[in-house]
Amino acid sequence: MPKKLRFVIGVSLVVAAIAYLIITAVRNTAEYYLTVSEAKARQVELSGQTLRVAGRVVPGTIRWDPSSLTLKFAITQPPPGDGQPGLTAIAATAPAPAKFMVVSRGQPKPDMFAPGRDVIVEGVLTKESTIEARQVLTSCPSKYTPKQN
Amino acid sequence: MPLVGQLALALALIVALYSIVANVLGARRDLPALLMSARHAVWASAAMVSVAVLALWMSLFRNDFSLEYVAGYTSLTLPAIYKFTALWGGQQGSLLFWTWLLSIFTAIVAFQHRRNPGLAPYALAVLAGLAIFFLFMLNFVTRPFDMVARIPADGQDLNPLLQNYWMAIHPPSLYTGYVSASVPFAFAAAALITGRFDDAWIRSTRRWAVLSWFFLTLGNLFGARWAYEVLGWGGYWAWDPVENAAFMPWLVMTAFLHSVMIQERKDMLKVWNLALIGMAFGLTLFGTFITRSGVISSVHSFTQSGLGPFFLTFLIAVTVSYTALLLARVRQLRSPAEMESYLSREAAFLFNNLVLVGIAFAVFWGTLFPVLSEAVRGVKITVGPPFFDKVNAPLALALIFLMGVGPLIAWRRSSLDSLAKTFAAPACFGLVTGLGAAFAGLREWYVLVAFSLAAFVFGTIFMEFRRGVTARRHLVSERPARALMNLIAKNNRRYGGYIIHVGVALAFVGIVGSSFFRTEVKKSIKPGGSFDVGPYELVFLGLKHDETPHLESARAEVEVLRNGNPLAVMRPGKLFYKRPQQPATSVAIRSTPVSDLYVVLASLDDNSGLVTFQVFLTPLVFWLWAGGFIAAFGTVIVMWPNMRERAAIAAAVRGPVTIETEPASVPGGD
Repeated sequence: MPKKLRFVIGVSLVVAAIAYLIITAVRNTAEYYLTVSEAKARQVELSGQTLRVAGRVVPGTIRWDPSSLTLKFAITQPPPGDGQPGLTAIAATAPAPAKFMVVSRGQPKPDMFAPGRDVIVEGVLTKESTIEARQVLTSCPSKYTPKQN
Repeated sequence: MPLVGQLALALALIVALYSIVANVLGARRDLPALLMSARHAVWASAAMVSVAVLALWMSLFRNDFSLEYVAGYTSLTLPAIYKFTALWGGQQGSLLFWTWLLSIFTAIVAFQHRRNPGLAPYALAVLAGLAIFFLFMLNFVTRPFDMVARIPADGQDLNPLLQNYWMAIHPPSLYTGYVSASVPFAFAAAALITGRFDDAWIRSTRRWAVLSWFFLTLGNLFGARWAYEVLGWGGYWAWDPVENAAFMPWLVMTAFLHSVMIQERKDMLKVWNLALIGMAFGLTLFGTFITRSGVISSVHSFTQSGLGPFFLTFLIAVTVSYTALLLARVRQLRSPAEMESYLSREAAFLFNNLVLVGIAFAVFWGTLFPVLSEAVRGVKITVGPPFFDKVNAPLALALIFLMGVGPLIAWRRSSLDSLAKTFAAPACFGLVTGLGAAFAGLREWYVLVAFSLAAFVFGTIFMEFRRGVTARRHLVSERPARALMNLIAKNNRRYGGYIIHVGVALAFVGIVGSSFFRTEVKKSIKPGGSFDVGPYELVFLGLKHDETPHLESARAEVEVLRNGNPLAVMRPGKLFYKRPQQPATSVAIRSTPVSDLYVVLASLDDNSGLVTFQVFLTPLVFWLWAGGFIAAFGTVIVMWPNMRERAAIAAAVRGPVTIETEPASVPGGD
């Protein structure tokens, strides 16, 4: 029996060590993953934190400076019921929706980046409601929804 | 053609249903005639699915845009090779492809066991049950032969990112890996149903398990290579849910392949093995579920569709019924044998299993974290790549250490003396490597430990090969090369395994080197300009434009110099696809065993004439690919037919006598 007990203890130690690794890693790396309106609602509380915000690039707000590799654009909440990541433009008549300015420095512009695209921005939320982006991820659907016109 | 395909799928479903009934009844009442009819049904079902696959392929090649699938994933100008691969490029097609593999594998199983059924009828019934789910989906939910209302003049084309040879072979490899895992799973379920708990289910499906591991390895490797060549960010692995979905079954399958050896030898860990194969198979379904359901947002979000609930229901049904079956039998599965000592191969394998499953669990937890946190706390919280790196870095070290220890330590128990004798030389080699690297200027402790452990693994394996060759030379006086060949040929399972270990350790070295020492340079310049990256000087010679009906391209000519000597001209490009109007990156890579020079034409600015280059210098990444292919090569050696083993399998299937497959008399000595 003690032989068996020795193994039970050894196995439990390994399991505990792995659990400890997972718990500390979660604590150190967890980030909020929010939509634009969720982030807007908790803006004050979140200021200064690193987070991920999912939103849609507002057409007409994109400024790209290739010499300094600086990309500035605004993201907004996609209209409800429109889950398709596509090229649909946002209706201009809607009441001014929640918006964030995004600044990405020193990163090339992603291939799939375009007005009206859905993006995930990872970065720090500054006081001026700007996100200093560490990373701009564009979602790449395996199939294209044709342009509606 | 579409009609033929649709009809074939309907018939396949009906025949598969019949094969379940016939197999179960035939086995229960011991009616050979009915079992034969059941086998015929299995073969007929496979034939029907093959007809459907051929029909879809023909429609793809004929540009039959009346089919929604053909119009959605191809175009008139799409190169033929991608019309061929479009079969698994979209959702309906990939499900059809999956079903096809499953029905072919089921047919092979029926053929393998035609004379000596044993567990096979029940396993065939389980496999048919799995096929029925997919056939149900193909017939009623996501139909590959659906027509469009108005036939378009041209299709929408395949996503440019997927028009790449690695992407052409990555999904079929992964699917083959996934689907071949269902054969051992089905036999495990059959063992639980019939109550035959000896290792017949393991022996008769070991080759399927190895085959599954082989294709999962290649699938992951191809996927990583695709990300490296196509996505243009200099890396190959981002811990994206889609990647994790393919990685988890690989981890659990690796654990399974090791722990079944303990059952074959020592008759221990029966419950654990049955649980592992259940997990491995469950994770293949889970992987398909998360990539197809959109539950977890991924950068590579596939078409989101209504498939999620169906897959979830199926996944839960399979998991719950298998777990219930296992729990009901747990009492009967108690093994009389138990572990004797920490210093034994059993113990090394046990801990290797814990670590592998631990990694799989950590990956699972990290992947599901956003969903779990939203369910529990109402807020989506995500853990990115840093989480996975932090958790897995120490676990990987433990795994590499065990990889060095496991194959050489004695079964049952070993004395400290014999340990010292076996491991002194490899341990010294590891230490010397670590110290050498430290003297050479490496200061990252993790890298030093990692390289030392990898050297330790190479040392142990080298010793094993040397011992085997020396023994053969003395016993049968062969030349070294001949002795090495015969050594491997006569013990392919064992020495193939060592070759796999060499490959995995090399891949590990590549991963560590590329993760710690990558440098990145970004520069916006005009033609004629130049800049330095590490020891290289890059001169931007000029741009070349080109156009085909399918795409437009701009390629930069970049000359690479080292100490003023020209080495190569690299041509990174930007492609503009015409059908889905979208740019894509064509990366230029100059690969050497020391480091990869990776040049991206990041952007072109028409106004200023500035071209932005992003260049990565990644040391040792070459060894990730080389190691991966060496591991795959080792797996081929392991799978190579071996007459002695075949006899042992036949014996195991006939009766519950255990037969050693690796006779101790052949050089090497266990």
